[in-house]
Amino acid sequence: MARSWFSWHHLAYAMVAVSLLVAACGSALLALDPLEQNLLSRNLAPTAAHWLGTDNFGRDVYARMIAGTRLTIVVAFLATVLALAGGAILGMIGCIVGGLLRTVIYAAFDIVRTMPPILLSLALMVALGVGTSSVILAVGIAYMPLFAYVARAVYEREMASGYVSAARVIGAGPWAIATRHVLPNITGAMLTQIAIVLPRAVTTESVLSFFGLGVSPEVPTWGRVIASAVEFAEQTPTALLFPVLALAMLTLSLAVVGDRLREHFDPLRPAVEARA
Amino acid sequence: MHRREALKNAFGFASLSGAGGSLLAQSLQQPGALPRRGGTLRIALLGLDTSDPHRHTGSIGVQQVFVETLVSIGDDGAIKPFLAERFELSEDGKTYVFHLRKNVLFHNGRTLAATDIQANLERVRDIIKGGWLAGAMSNIAAISTPDALTVKMVLTKPFAPFLNLLSELWILAPESEGWNSTIRKPIGTGPFRFGTWQPNVRFVAPAFKQYWQPGLPYLDNVQFELRGDQDNSLSLRAGDLDVAVIRSDKVAALRADRIEVQLLGDTTWYFLSFNNRKPTPLMQDRRVREAIAHAIDKGACMNFIGGKEALVSNQPVRPQTFYWDQVVERQDAYGTPNLAKARELLRAAGVDPARHTLKVISGQFDYARAEVQMVRRLGFKINHVALDDIGTQRALATYDWDLAPSSSGPRADVYLRYARLLSNGPSPMLWGGIQDKELDALIATAVASPSIGQARRAYQTAWKRVMDKMYTVGIGHAADMIGVGRRVRGYRTGFTWSQNRVDGGLARVWLSA
Amino acid sequence: MNAISMLSVAMLRQLAKILSIAFVIFLLVRVVPGDIADMYAARGDYDAHSVTQIRERLGLNESLPSQFGQWAQHAVQGDLGESMRFGTPVGAMLTGALPSSLVLAAASLLFGLTLGLTLAVLGLVYPKSRVVSCIEALNIWSIAVPTFCTGIIGILIFSVGLKWLPIRGQMLLPILIVGMDVAGQIVKPLYIELKETSNAAFVRTARAKGLSRWRIAWRHILPNSLSVIVALSGVILSGLIGGTLTVEVLFSLPGVGSLTLEAIRGRDYPVIQASVLALAFSVVLVNLLTVFLHRLIDPRLARTNGITS
Repeated sequence: MARSWFSWHHLAYAMVAVSLLVAACGSALLALDPLEQNLLSRNLAPTAAHWLGTDNFGRDVYARMIAGTRLTIVVAFLATVLALAGGAILGMIGCIVGGLLRTVIYAAFDIVRTMPPILLSLALMVALGVGTSSVILAVGIAYMPLFAYVARAVYEREMASGYVSAARVIGAGPWAIATRHVLPNITGAMLTQIAIVLPRAVTTESVLSFFGLGVSPEVPTWGRVIASAVEFAEQTPTALLFPVLALAMLTLSLAVVGDRLREHFDPLRPAVEARA
Repeated sequence: MHRREALKNAFGFASLSGAGGSLLAQSLQQPGALPRRGGTLRIALLGLDTSDPHRHTGSIGVQQVFVETLVSIGDDGAIKPFLAERFELSEDGKTYVFHLRKNVLFHNGRTLAATDIQANLERVRDIIKGGWLAGAMSNIAAISTPDALTVKMVLTKPFAPFLNLLSELWILAPESEGWNSTIRKPIGTGPFRFGTWQPNVRFVAPAFKQYWQPGLPYLDNVQFELRGDQDNSLSLRAGDLDVAVIRSDKVAALRADRIEVQLLGDTTWYFLSFNNRKPTPLMQDRRVREAIAHAIDKGACMNFIGGKEALVSNQPVRPQTFYWDQVVERQDAYGTPNLAKARELLRAAGVDPARHTLKVISGQFDYARAEVQMVRRLGFKINHVALDDIGTQRALATYDWDLAPSSSGPRADVYLRYARLLSNGPSPMLWGGIQDKELDALIATAVASPSIGQARRAYQTAWKRVMDKMYTVGIGHAADMIGVGRRVRGYRTGFTWSQNRVDGGLARVWLSA
Repeated sequence: MNAISMLSVAMLRQLAKILSIAFVIFLLVRVVPGDIADMYAARGDYDAHSVTQIRERLGLNESLPSQFGQWAQHAVQGDLGESMRFGTPVGAMLTGALPSSLVLAAASLLFGLTLGLTLAVLGLVYPKSRVVSCIEALNIWSIAVPTFCTGIIGILIFSVGLKWLPIRGQMLLPILIVGMDVAGQIVKPLYIELKETSNAAFVRTARAKGLSRWRIAWRHILPNSLSVIVALSGVILSGLIGGTLTVEVLFSLPGVGSLTLEAIRGRDYPVIQASVLALAFSVVLVNLLTVFLHRLIDPRLARTNGITS
């Protein structure tokens, strides 16, 4: 199967690389200020001055897309890292210590998982107020359970393996076993999970912005750009089409990369995860 | 509206507002077309917050189809008799006498009597206590019913907004279920009854066949769609809705699809308030406020908000209405943007905008972002916090901010525009929490004026003070717009959101085939 | 332990979970700044005194344990209280919202399952055809494109442009959109699972016997993958009940998602608590159902495995 998808994978890697590149040095590519409003030229189709047209405030869509690349990736990445940190660390601690702590921690994650991630993020956003840090916090918390469950699965799998039983016979304590045997093996699963959660974080952020509860109105993440464009989709379809395409391509590429990682690291993991 | 003038108006209009008036209006609309009976009108305006009309929290457009009032606000903003046939006011402005119409029936078949009016007034005063009508009720010294169709109210002192506030005191049958706590099934006198209510989803109001205006209503049902966060223009064009509130930037698309667009009589007022309760040292400097005011491009703002029909104004009332003054408008120093002057003012004040971050709190409205962008042009750094209803309210109440771009919808009386500028008025935070005893006194004078001419002068003086102190900068007015579908006949917007008025409303609407 | 006692232990555990969720949500919503009285203040012309009166009337000044106690007492008897915002009984609001969500969830799941299953089996039977790329495309679609984008485009094309469908209250477009999303989630894992099963020994035997590919797929591979299908459906269904929020908002469907969203915006505590409880209940129910179905399928699996026909 790897053969027939050869070109796809390369395309995906390229896409991710390009996105990161744009994110890193995006300001160099900007001709116009992404925040500058020009109330006289609102909702324009692509012209020579505005390569991708303008949005409802007369802001240049191309500029917002470029500036948005960095913000979108950073917000999604930070949210995912937060989810990873919270989920994996708490989960591992719970597994290692075991007993009541483990039950309590996983019960808490169970409760969090009951709420659909979007609803949970929305509720958290209302509590925390609109803003980039709130989005990161809200989306991060919503996806913590995923990492916690993966951590537990890996832990249990490793605990059942031969050399761990051997280590226990020798008399190694649970913390030592964890650091020496479980942790190294967890990296693969975690990387895979990151590649899965990252696109979902991007989508969740865009849905939050759609409901007006995402990042601050000025901050041009792709989710925010899409949300603003949705209302004027009929007038200026280009303002909606381009960011959606970009979003789709980014999440797709990330998903493909995640797929490859999974095949590489962790072919035994079940193919089912909770959905955004 | 007040005193003798009100009386003359009342008399003049009373004769028109019978059934004859409605047919006249009808034939003017569509010569030769007879109203067709039946059908369900699907309408999406504001919401319905409670089944107890006395406890409403601001959106009254829906409940007005099943409950009515003694007087109502006509299409031109003047007070007209509604359930009352006529009313009189004493010379000293303290005694009001209302003569009720005969044979007005409640939805349960009983005839309206003066004692019902008294019961309703007393309910608002005693059981509901707080809220909207608290001001009006506290002014009433005595209520009496000399006979079955006459109600007499004596006030402690002349209170100019009284009649307009009465236009929001709904008359229900005291036998309505929940009268002593929260009414669940309101029994009113309106052309439609309180049918089934799914909060925030839908409210269906079936027709009341024994409505006191003969021949009305034409429709069988009115179905209110209560969900607020929709783009109604698409639904109008798809034929899903018959009447709906729409955003101004959708007007062109609607007209292209042969959907008529009407404007409300009164407008929403847009303004930019400064923090008047706890201003920072920077904002205490008058020159900084002036500079910010100079930076706002009022024309561009209002065009953004309401298109060509929006109006620039520095006053809280709509241009070309009674309480608005042309001269004051012309003398507005901030009518057109002047960035050079703004920068000069900042220089004179020794302020380097790049070193300051202004905190702006607003709802999640596009116009707020446009205004913020204009202030940014001065060079200030801006921290714009856009929150939902409740969040904005609370954030503003901390008085830990610099600017608040905001708006205020149509009001029944000019007094309600000024009420919030009082030191202990309702929700003063939108206007920065003004605490100014002199301003309070000026507004009180206006309220107690014996004639509308004097009231006008007094309100003007009050507003001049607000402008002099630069508490808030009035930007303009934009009327809310209503899209009317192709099958709808006889629909006319009123002065406010009311859907049932003595001279108009859903009772007179019918659907063509 | 027999099936029944296992089931009852599972149920008890779930009940405990629901109770703790109720308590946690109760605390959480009250941590959110602002309450319903603030909303009245924001909307209307209420002065500070009236706002305090409103708070008192709604019992918001009492201590937290007392408030929770009162609420729990009533909830256990089936009385979920009244909406603080509208005064209507919460139970009625919830039962009004459930049908929409349930129908949408069930219909989307059915549509998605059918589509996903068909594609996966087709991909198995015709491995060299375009079907496999369809599977990839569908999977990509469900990951990459948010439902609200599809929704808006769908509205513009079908309701405004072609005028085939109304916007408000219709179920067809929402079911298609969500269903495709579901199909996208199912089809790839299912296809992989089917392919893996097709490498198993008993399938090789069947093929050696000369059975047609269809027969093999239908009679041998699919039944073995039933547990995976059930697991997938379970996860997706529990995600669907509250997760159709964007579609509900776009198409004005009065479902549980939008009920909860509005309640959160309006700080309507009783409604938020009741909706979250309802969501928790449904998730628990779906989990139990999944476990139960698994038990049903398992013994059958044990029997068909290796038996030729």
